[in-house]
Amino acid sequence: MAQTVLQLIIGGLAMGFIYALVSIEYTIIWNASGLLNFSHERLILLGAYLFGAQFVVRNGISNPIAVVLMLICTFFIGVLISYVLMRPLRNLPLVFSVTGTIMLGRIITEGVRLIWGNNPIPLVGWLEGTIKAGELVINRTYIIIIIVAAVLVAALQIFLNKTKVGTAMRCVSQNKKAAAFMGIDVDRSSAITMGISAVICGIIGILIIPLFQLKGDMTGMIGIKGFAAGVVGGFGYIPGGIVGGILIGVLESLSTLVVPGIYKDIVSFILLIVFLLVRPSGILGHKA
Amino acid sequence: MLKVENIDVYYGKVQALYDVCFEVGENEIVSIIGSNGAGKSTLMKTIMGVNKPAKGTIEFNGEQIGSVKTNLIVGKRLVYIPEGREVFPKMSVKDNLVMGAYSRKYSSAEMNRKLEEMFEIYPRLKERQSQLAGSMSGGEQQMLAIARGLMSEPKMVMYDEPSLGLSPLIVDEMFETIVKVKQTMKIPVVIVEQNAFMAMSISDRTYILENGHMKGSGASKELMDSPEIKKAYLGG
Ligand SMILES: Nc1ncnc2c1ncn2[C@@H]1O[C@H](COP(=O)(O)OP(=O)(O)O)[C@@H](O)[C@H]1O
Ligand SMILES: [Mg+2]
Repeated sequence: MAQTVLQLIIGGLAMGFIYALVSIEYTIIWNASGLLNFSHERLILLGAYLFGAQFVVRNGISNPIAVVLMLICTFFIGVLISYVLMRPLRNLPLVFSVTGTIMLGRIITEGVRLIWGNNPIPLVGWLEGTIKAGELVINRTYIIIIIVAAVLVAALQIFLNKTKVGTAMRCVSQNKKAAAFMGIDVDRSSAITMGISAVICGIIGILIIPLFQLKGDMTGMIGIKGFAAGVVGGFGYIPGGIVGGILIGVLESLSTLVVPGIYKDIVSFILLIVFLLVRPSGILGHKA
Repeated sequence: MLKVENIDVYYGKVQALYDVCFEVGENEIVSIIGSNGAGKSTLMKTIMGVNKPAKGTIEFNGEQIGSVKTNLIVGKRLVYIPEGREVFPKMSVKDNLVMGAYSRKYSSAEMNRKLEEMFEIYPRLKERQSQLAGSMSGGEQQMLAIARGLMSEPKMVMYDEPSLGLSPLIVDEMFETIVKVKQTMKIPVVIVEQNAFMAMSISDRTYILENGHMKGSGASKELMDSPEIKKAYLGG
């Protein structure tokens, strides 16, 4: 029993970190542009396909180099989206940007289908395997997800707080008008933000390949769950997303002890609704 | 130093400035007065590249800047202290000041020297340097906004309604320091104000902007004595 619980917690932690990353990605875009990006699940998909379907399977490139190529591609795709889509939409009512990013999502989905086909693409051996710790057998994927996500979160905090580009991004998020009067190129800063956000999507994409396979619906509900993570932890605030994501991931995983596994997706929605009703500012109580 | 010639500015289809001319010399304080909605901030933001003039030219320090992006204009060391302070609320006072020098490449020694200079002008900022800017009073935020602007050693500085929403006592102090800073830095200064009396008493020349039109300009002293100006802007 204790072992099962421990395994569930580790699996939950891993999913929790994925939700946390999604939430962080929502947050930095929201802060940088005041826009909600509803295409990011598709960017996750695109990152996974670029890496797996294109670079590894079609081009036969080795995994590490394929990862690097994918990161470079997603960064520039993000930058492109910022200049072509987000910047013109920024000055329009929110409904236009929401529609715009949803349409972008559809374009990517159909594009992926067109280029790489409808069928799941097997990617043998990628991040798979198990790790034994005494009696405990742990899925290697979970451990890798936890390590990569934790490193990424830490790196992002250092980047935002200690580098000049990151500081400029924080300024833009707090006051766009004033940021420009400091000499910050707001368009460029927003584009870098979008690029980083797309890179995070790509990383999420390759991390979840072993869990959900390389297929059109691989992202499942992680978009909405990442959003829920933000609300539960405290929206618009990076530590909030981390706390919310981990809480949702672990609770969802542990819920399978008491209810059948197919109901576990409900956990995040119950938490989302409860927090919206009872504590809309989230666990960390940060005012957005 | 700055020469604005015959500019028209629109917000969408609505015209906000009509054929406006405006000039600032090498070492003077110039004020722009006019009621709320006259177009004062629009003129400032157009000079700063936020709005683009549909017609006319803007020249700063011998260069045309009418179609240059805001961040690059700041790079030419023309600094605008915006209306309503616009500090970075979730950053400390010190970090706000450091951001003011974003366009410069100071070494950390230069940065510290610059910070000390600002703390000398506004000792309150030194006491509050690790406090979040958003949690300070209006007067303190205005001081911060000014000091932040001065961090980059501007070649010219433009203040947009620095007295807005401040108590009379603080307003006096604010204008005193603006004059003092001008004298030590020896740079031209533009002050945009609804508080016409204050702005005119510290400036060399004054422009009057109404409904997007420049209604007149002249030496501040003379204008302050003119009965028309007294009646319209100085309350009798
Ligand atoms: N962003 C904007 N969009 C549309 N109209 C604006 C905008 N900013 C200012 N205006 C209009 O332009 C005119 C001048 O405004 P402004 O320059 O702010 O005046 P002032 O600074 O003298 O009070 C006003 O009629 C105002 O309503
Ligand atoms: Mg104004």
